[in-house]
This record gives sequence, structure tokens and C-alpha cells, in this order.
Amino acid sequence: MSTLLEVKNLSTYFYTQDGVVKAVQDVSYEVAKGETIALVGESGCGKTVSALSIVRLIAEPPGKIVSGQVMFDGTDLLKLPQDDIREVRGAKISMIFQEPMTSLNPVLTIGRQLTEALELHQRMNKKEALKEAIRLLKLVGIPHGERRIKDYPHHFSGGMRQRVMMAMAISCQPQLIIADEPTTAVDVTIQAQLLQMIREITDRLGTSVILITHNLGIVARYASRVYVMYAGRIVEHGPAAAIYHNPRHPYTVGLLASVPRLDEARKMRLEPIKGQPPDLIAPPVGCAFCPRCSQADSQCQTNGHQLVEVEPGHFTACGVVCKEARYG
Amino acid sequence: MSMAEDAVRTEAVRPHHTLWGDAFIRLRRNRLAVIGGILVLLIALAAIFVPIFSPYGFAQQNLDAIREGPSWSHPFGTDELGRDVFTRLFAGARTSLMVGIFTQVIVLAIGLPIGAAAAYAGGRADNLIMRFVDVMYAFPDILLIILIRAILGGSIYMIFLAIGLVAWVSVARLVRGQILSLKQRDFATAAKAMGAPGRYIVWRHLLPNSLGPIIVLVTFGIPRAIFAEAALSYIGIGIKPPTPSWGTMIRDGYDLIFSAPHLVLFPAIALGILMLAFTFLGDGLRDALDPRLRR
Repeated sequence: MSTLLEVKNLSTYFYTQDGVVKAVQDVSYEVAKGETIALVGESGCGKTVSALSIVRLIAEPPGKIVSGQVMFDGTDLLKLPQDDIREVRGAKISMIFQEPMTSLNPVLTIGRQLTEALELHQRMNKKEALKEAIRLLKLVGIPHGERRIKDYPHHFSGGMRQRVMMAMAISCQPQLIIADEPTTAVDVTIQAQLLQMIREITDRLGTSVILITHNLGIVARYASRVYVMYAGRIVEHGPAAAIYHNPRHPYTVGLLASVPRLDEARKMRLEPIKGQPPDLIAPPVGCAFCPRCSQADSQCQTNGHQLVEVEPGHFTACGVVCKEARYG
Repeated sequence: MSMAEDAVRTEAVRPHHTLWGDAFIRLRRNRLAVIGGILVLLIALAAIFVPIFSPYGFAQQNLDAIREGPSWSHPFGTDELGRDVFTRLFAGARTSLMVGIFTQVIVLAIGLPIGAAAAYAGGRADNLIMRFVDVMYAFPDILLIILIRAILGGSIYMIFLAIGLVAWVSVARLVRGQILSLKQRDFATAAKAMGAPGRYIVWRHLLPNSLGPIIVLVTFGIPRAIFAEAALSYIGIGIKPPTPSWGTMIRDGYDLIFSAPHLVLFPAIALGILMLAFTFLGDGLRDALDPRLRR
């Protein structure tokens, strides 16, 4: 499979009154054509910011992409002029946002919002675009499209709205969909339906997906590879099965231990990770997870960060684990 | 067919409630707003039809019947030139309503794009525009209107323009504030992520969302413009005779307030009622369109 998107050494900072927030530091990942990868991590770890940086949707100021490259189909998106990046947004890379309740414009009809991208990017006229909108609604499982396009967002439930967002996202047959916590705001049964639908549609169209989530259950089912982020950096990445069954970084281990699993014998208690994520204005010098890590040794306070391959395709940024791997 | 599909079908055909439809229902429940609306409507209809069907022209003099009190042939009496006050009053209503509406058109035509442009551009351009607006705001309205009117001259259109050129600042302020806050909303980011250009987002997404407050401000702007015109006419630099204006009528009648009080009374009451009607309507619209007041 060929690479569609390659994010190289991306750093995005926010310049606030209190100091520089290093939201994303030296992050690299790649997505192959037709592949679904997952970015996981807790709130504030930089998952969303790194994805928004790809299509340059970081509000500037206070945000700024300070370094890195985003190679998409052979071009560096970070170097494109404003007008050209707009041609990429929605047409080649589209997004699904977390909040279906607020991501649709309340005073415009669904039809109006669905046809927007079609008219902007595909240069369709109103009639063609409306016909296409009805087809798209059917594709995402909303019946009676010809009537529904006249409805407003408040006529739709959360799950239905997320379907509409999905229809908008695929309307121009993009090569990549960035789904930023697409199912966080809907309940569990709808979650499964939506994700199944995303998978079916993207499989059929050969679309790549970056799935941003904090739900590890979702990751196991829908992503082929997983990137675990902590405090603005990628601390571990590899094939989903490897991350699941053989997590190496203590943070990943802790993350997995803190969610209930249906595929293992029932444990008495879930184990939370103790402590708080670090302040991104002044992150620890060494490994960011060091203050919360039970295995940390003296070296962890001064170095870390380097991703080392511990098994084929599986990288981890833990100094302790890497030392074991080297000597053991 | 299965029950599930039937359920979907009935759900899909239930009546549409658009945002504006909902607002209209709420407006109808507000008694004062309904009274205001009806009054505005009645005055507008009377302004159109009374001068057409009246047996007297609004400038038609009858020196045999001057300063007459109300009677069957002259319900509101006659003025010092024997003109029928009833006819003149509603011809004056035409002037007032025209002032109210046309100035607001000018206000929107200037204030909307400037406010939107300031918010969209941001930074130095925004600062420059808004400081200019602040300076305009600091002057008493009537003083500026008199000044601009002195420059523009005295035709009725120039009076619309003079009032409009002063009143646009509040719309510009409102629109800028609305756009700035709406810009942060998720749907604006979503539209941006779909590749919509900034101007397009402001025009197609953000302005329609601020239509409610704009409508309210315009509704309140109408009586203010009407009053400004009446004030100008009262001090003698507004509408030129023989075009009737309530301000002129009040001034002309003022000299005779003890001998023929009806000459002041009727236009003054009419002015009061019209302003009150628009204010009630504006209050009602604000309550109906403000999502925070929704129950």
C-alpha cells in the first residue's frame, strides 16, 4: 500500500498569556491509502490539535505550527498558499467533528449545508447538488431524503446529525477523513452503528481515516494501526493487535488497565493512572510520563522521547523498556 | 411493510417548524407585541388609504373654515389655513413611516457590511473601523444629523440619508459583535473544514445566525428615526412644507396651543402611539427571537 499522508516532526504551539503551550511536539505519523489509523490519548494530549494542523485549522494567533511537514499526495500542505489549502479542505481531506449538536448551522437547512461543498468543490448547480444530497443521505441511512433536505438541524437527533456530518464529509469523495471523536457525543448503540457505517463507506470508497478517540474499545475494532499520544508526543505506535496484546510503554499499559475489557476475565477493580498529565507550558525535561510512572528510573528524568522499535512495526518511547529490549 | 418503516414515515411527514415559524408563534403569544403590530399595521393602512379617499387634499386650504375644532366634516378639526387635520395627519404618517423604513434600509446597507468586514478582517482594520464608530457614537445623534443635513441640503431623501448616516453605527457594532462570537462556534469551524472561504462563511453562515438581533435593532431604530425627523421638522430644518410632517404640524400648532389645542394634540398623540407601537413590537420580537429567553 502506498502512503497517502505523512506527518513529519510536526510541532504546534499556542502562545498564551501564561506562556507557550507546546500542544504538539515532534509528532510523526503516516496513513496509507485506504487505511484507518487511530490517535488515542486522554483529553488535552494533542490528538485534535495534531489533526487540525494537517489542514491548518489552528486559530492563528494564538496557535502556530512551528515546524514539520505534512506530505499529502506528494505536496507539503503546510507550504500551500491559503487558496490552495481551501481546495484541499472538504474536497480531498474532510473532517467529522465531535459535537453533532453544534457542528451544523442551526439556521440553514440540511440540504443547504449538504450542497455547500458540492457547489464549492464540484461546481455542481443547485439542482444536481440537491439530487446528490438526497443520494448521500440515503447512503448514510437517512430515509426520505427529498423531504429531509428541507429540515433544519434541530429536527434531527444527535445520531442523525452525525450521519448528516458523515454525508457532508464524504460528499466530495475525499481521500482522507479525519474523524475527531465522532461518536463521543452519542450513546453506545448509535456509536457502533455509526462506526460500522463509517467503515463500510470508507472501505467502499477506498478512503483513509484518521480516527481520533479516547475510547480504546473503538480502536481495537476499527483501526489497523494505533498511535498513542501523551503530553503532545507520540509515546507508542504499532499495529492495533500489538498495542492491545503487547503494550510496552507504561502509559499504554496504564491506559489499557483503566478501561473495562470484555475479552478477559472480570477483574475486581479498574486501575486508574495516578497523578495528573503534565503542564504543557513547562513539560518535564525527560519523559513526560516519568512523574506518574511506577517503573521510572533516574535516567527517565533527563532523557526519553526517542521512539525505538521493540518488535516489527511496533515502536515505543520508553527508556526503561528500550533498555530491557537492548540488554534482555 | 414493517412497523419500523411506518414509524419512520409518520415521523418524516410531521409539520415543519422553522426557526422563524417558532418565533412567530412566540410573538403571537405576547399581547403587547400583538397590539404594537396591529397598531403599526393600522397606521400604515390609514397612511396609505386616508389621503386617497379623503374628500380633502392634504394641502387643500379653506380659508372659510380655519382653526375649527373637531366636527363631523373635519373629525380632527382644521388648522390655521383651513386644511383638514385628519387628512394631514395620515399624510404625515406616510412621511414618518417612509423616514422610519428608508433610514433603516440605509442603516443596514452601511452598518451590515462595515460591521461584518471589521469582524472578518480583524486586527488593525477592525480597530480602525471600530474607533471611528466609537467617535460617531460619542456625538449626540441630533447634532450630527443637523450637521450632515446642512451639508446635504433639505430634500426628503437627504433627510433619510442624514439620519441613516448617523444611525448605522449601532448596527455595525452589533453585527461585528455577533460575527466575532459566531466565528468561534463549531459550525463555523466545520464550514471552514469543508473548504468554504472566509467571506462565504460570514455571509452564508454567520450573518443568517445574527438576523434575530439585527431585526430587533432595526425595529427599535424605526421609532428613533421617526422621532429624529419629527424633531428636525419641529425646529424647522426637517421636511419642507407643504409635505406634511408631524413635527411641522406640532410646531405650527404650538403657537396656537391655547386657542386651538387640537392642532398640537392630534399629531403629538399620533407620534406617541406610533413610537410606542414600534417599541412594543421590538420588545416582542426580541423576546421571540432571543434563544436564551426560549422556554
